[in-house]
Amino acid sequence: MELQWPLIIFTTLVAWSAGVFGTQGALASGGHACRSQMPLLAISVALLAVSGIAVFFHLEHWERIFNGFGHLSSGITQEFIVIVVFAVVAVAYFVFLRRSGDGTVPRWMGWLAVAISTVLVVVCAHSYVMAARPAWNSVLEVLSLVGAALLMGPATCGVVMALRKDAGAGAREDGVADVADGLAAADAAAGFGASDGEASLRASHGAVGSEVVARSSHGARAFGRIAVIGATVGALCVLSFAVFLQMSGGSFVDVGYHFDPVRPTQAMVDPAAVVAIQAPLLWAGGVVVGAFVPLALCWLAVRKGTIGLWKACGSTAVLCALVGAVCLRVAFYNLGLSVFMFY
Amino acid sequence: MTQYAIVTDVNRCVGCLACSVACKAVNDVPVGSFWNKVLRIGPNAPIGGAGDPSSYLYFLTVQCQHCADPECVKVCPTEASHIAADGTVQIDKSKCIGCQFCAMACPYNVRYLNEEEGVVEKCTLCEQKIAQGELPQCVSQCGGMARFFGDLDQGLEGFEGAENGGERIKLGEFALPFDESDVHHLPNVGNNPSFAYILRGHEWMGGE
Repeated sequence: MELQWPLIIFTTLVAWSAGVFGTQGALASGGHACRSQMPLLAISVALLAVSGIAVFFHLEHWERIFNGFGHLSSGITQEFIVIVVFAVVAVAYFVFLRRSGDGTVPRWMGWLAVAISTVLVVVCAHSYVMAARPAWNSVLEVLSLVGAALLMGPATCGVVMALRKDAGAGAREDGVADVADGLAAADAAAGFGASDGEASLRASHGAVGSEVVARSSHGARAFGRIAVIGATVGALCVLSFAVFLQMSGGSFVDVGYHFDPVRPTQAMVDPAAVVAIQAPLLWAGGVVVGAFVPLALCWLAVRKGTIGLWKACGSTAVLCALVGAVCLRVAFYNLGLSVFMFY
Repeated sequence: MTQYAIVTDVNRCVGCLACSVACKAVNDVPVGSFWNKVLRIGPNAPIGGAGDPSSYLYFLTVQCQHCADPECVKVCPTEASHIAADGTVQIDKSKCIGCQFCAMACPYNVRYLNEEEGVVEKCTLCEQKIAQGELPQCVSQCGGMARFFGDLDQGLEGFEGAENGGERIKLGEFALPFDESDVHHLPNVGNNPSFAYILRGHEWMGGE
């Protein structure tokens, strides 16, 4: 079918937004990435807002959405409901962040962010699972959008954490930063106990610094796991849907030779040829650029563990995953032919 | 319960496209769009010229199948697409937001976006006519007297067509005999299409 650009932008940005929110929630549940929580929340909400604006361009009569809107079996209605819930959770998350003042939220709030992010992506993707379009009619289509979220979300968090010199993105340099913070904290603490003398101050410096380095290292390991596991699972999800799309050519009804008198010069429909034409976009764009390059970059950044590398590799990974997600959605629409495609 | 539908005697269809033209004229279907199309299926056997009796083709009239379990209705967020009391699938244009998910969910691709009005359209089974006891225009204008309209729940035999555009004829009396194995449908992916096609003596291509 024709490319629906507003929907392509919507689904891609929703996946990105949910990926960021879910990743920051997972980090928050372990008490990590405290400096980056607020910027990440802002990014997630901004992406969701842009996706919402994009989807309005798809509607011919958006002013009628409240005129009977609410048919629960409709994927659009379900998306709308989940987006509202997502927004409510994001607001609650914001409130907890503001209250704590140190970039932490309750552990349950972190897991709630992960849960609602997952539900949002699954529901948005599920709207397109239709028996009428064999290339879309699979749980792998849902997983492909989950995969996009897993590729874009952790990488975005890595970049923001690197920019914010947060624990996790680049343990080495970040450790140094946190040690500095720790020493400052120790200085402050020493101010209260100045009478204990210089030895006590040195001990205080050492203890707090070590603790912060340990916490930073722990944060790095936690984020590294999320980034690598997320990108690996995401890449596999994208790959499996690409294989499904590639094999979809045999799923359509075949009536043999046929002719449409009102389109006398049009060639017969050939699903195999349609699938073959999409192969470069699907495999080079959607899979290699969109999944395996980001995976390699995330793996490299986690392995080296430096802020500079996370800035460079993370941002490149996000860009590649974004381009790949769009490529995959374009191929998705181009292969979204009706099961009976002769009309 | 009523389930209005059209049955096409494919052996009688001559592919004159009168149904398509009549539909466009009566329902003001935009240029380039169709509520009803006639496709030529075949030739379906090796072409050996006039001397090869094994090669054959038939004409297939395709339009909204007014399914019993229409996916287009399930995916509509505003219930603009709905099942009417007579079993037909209709669109309340005043509720349609033009999201086109119904067009995506249709297995037959028979829905389209009317760019001018910003709403989705498709065959209404001439609801304005059948409500008054008339036949749908594609049935009354059928050049091959191949199309018959009626209530599925009353059985196919009682479906009515029009002889030479006027006199009512009944499928059970007018058409050649057929049995259940001659009655086919477009592919069913869970939507249960109501329309049926009668094809005797030839293989039905693509579907049930």
